[in-house]
Amino acid sequence: MTGISTHVLDITNGRPLAGLQVELYDMATHPPTRLNNTRTNADGRTDAPVLAAKDARTGHFELRFHVGDRFKAADGLSDVVPVRFSIFDAAQHYHVPMLCAPWFFSMYRGS
Amino acid sequence: MANQVVSHPARRQFALSGLALGAAAIASRGALAQQPNAAPAGPARASGPIVLHGVSPRLTVHALDTFHGAAATGLRIDFSRLEGGSYKLLRSTVMNANGRSDDPLLVGESYQAGDYELLLHVDDYFAGRKAVLPVPPFLTKLPVRIRVANVAERIHLPIQFGPWSYTYSRGS
Repeated sequence: MTGISTHVLDITNGRPLAGLQVELYDMATHPPTRLNNTRTNADGRTDAPVLAAKDARTGHFELRFHVGDRFKAADGLSDVVPVRFSIFDAAQHYHVPMLCAPWFFSMYRGS
Repeated sequence: MANQVVSHPARRQFALSGLALGAAAIASRGALAQQPNAAPAGPARASGPIVLHGVSPRLTVHALDTFHGAAATGLRIDFSRLEGGSYKLLRSTVMNANGRSDDPLLVGESYQAGDYELLLHVDDYFAGRKAVLPVPPFLTKLPVRIRVANVAERIHLPIQFGPWSYTYSRGS
C-alpha cells in the first residue's frame, strides 16, 4: 500500500483518540491546499487512508490534528498540531502516527 | 524579578568551561567527514543540566538531536507569533552549545498570552552535520505551535528530534 495514513493515541489513558479532526494539506501551493478533512474512528485511525494509494506522489504535506477541540484543557500546550513532512518516494507508504496528551506530542514515521 | 539570574555563579562557570569543550568537539568533528553518516562516538556534552525552577515567567526552549545524542547546537529556530491569522516573525535564533537559545524566547514584558510557532530548520541542521538522508528529507522545516495561556506560569519547551521523528512537551 502507498499513500498516507495516521493513528492517534492518547497517552493519558492509553487509548485511541477517537473523533479527532485531521486535515491533510499540500504544502507546495500558496496558500496550502487542503486535500482531506476527516476524523479518527474508534481505533484512532481514519476509515479511509488520509491520502489514497491512487493519489500517492512525492511532495510536501502537512497533517493537522485539532487536539484542542478534543482535550479541552485550558492550559493545553497546543491547539492545532501541524506535522509537516515530505514524501521522497511515492512507491512507499507513509504512516505518520501521533502519541499525545494535552502537554506532550510525539510524531514519527511508522509502518 | 523579571530577569532573575537563572544559574548560580558556580554553575555558570561550569557552563562556560563547557563551551570550550563544545568548541573542541566541533573542531574534532572534521574527523567524521570520512564517514558522513556516522554518529559521534560519544554524545557531545557542553554542560551539565540547567535548572530553571523558581525563575520568573518566561518561555524557554531546549532542542536535542536524538540521532547524534547531543544538544542541537547550531539549529536555527524562527520564532513567530500568530497575529491576524498569520505567523509574524519575532526573531530568528540559533541553539547554543547547550541546545538552548542564549536568551529566553519570551520573558518579562514580552511574555504575553497568545499562539506562537517555532520553526525548526531541521533540514539545514542535518545537512550541516553530513547526515545521509533522502532528498527531500522526511522532516524539513518543522513547525511546533504552542499556546501561552497563563502568563503567571513559565513554559519550558524541550524538543527532541531526529530525521524521522520528533517529540515536544511541556517541561520544567
